[in-house]
Amino acid sequence: MATNDYLRASLHIAGSGLATQSTRLRIISENIANAQSTATVAGGDPYTRQTIAFENAIDRASGFNLVKVRQIGLDSTPFHVEQDPGSPAADAQGFVKTPNVDVLTELADLREANRSYEANLQVAKQASDLMNQTVALLKDL
Amino acid sequence: MSDVYLTKLASQRIGYLSTRQSLIAGNVANVNTPSFRAQDLKPFAATLQETALTMSATNPAHLTPAAQGLDAPRIVEGDAADATVSGNSVDIESEMVKLGETSRDYSEATGIQKAFHQMFTQALK
Repeated sequence: MATNDYLRASLHIAGSGLATQSTRLRIISENIANAQSTATVAGGDPYTRQTIAFENAIDRASGFNLVKVRQIGLDSTPFHVEQDPGSPAADAQGFVKTPNVDVLTELADLREANRSYEANLQVAKQASDLMNQTVALLKDL
Repeated sequence: MSDVYLTKLASQRIGYLSTRQSLIAGNVANVNTPSFRAQDLKPFAATLQETALTMSATNPAHLTPAAQGLDAPRIVEGDAADATVSGNSVDIESEMVKLGETSRDYSEATGIQKAFHQMFTQALK
């Protein structure tokens, strides 16, 4: 396989990394945005925290390690319960179920996603840099 | 050794480095993938040591060892020992260091190509 194919593949792989990490950012922002979203009916379930899982996707033709989202699931940890009889979502006893979102966890996750995104971006930048260097060999012929 | 052995070597090094770049890209993309093992190539110098010297066949009956081309660099998988709880062994910091190394070596190899090219053109003038 030619040099350029590998560099092109690097861009492709880094692109798959960027795509999955940005999906992850979306999930995190949905969780944070809905950290206080209670049910619309009395005694109902509030917003459930979403989770995301990644999976190694090997490109069959070339054997490159791409990455993709395996599953966006729902967190099964129990909801928090608060005593707030005035809330429209309160049940007969005045208890309101609030989402199982922990903002601190989400923020930590956000940091990690951010860091991974930057790393992928760095790889993509470098791959295109190397391609440019190869092309530059032709410049002073 | 042919006259243009060094240019060939430099382009093989470029091939090696671009393969390495794609492996690093795979590692970085899979930094959060459970049970993913980081991959890397054997060092270029080590591969070169194994392939540079081959015995010449002075008799048709001589067996020649199978050519181990530099064109197909061998991939080594990371250790299971440095994996995290999820079984992922990618260390983002060392991947970034490798990325820097690749960039530097690539510049070096293309620089060498350029220098040789200048020499050739100078000889022709």
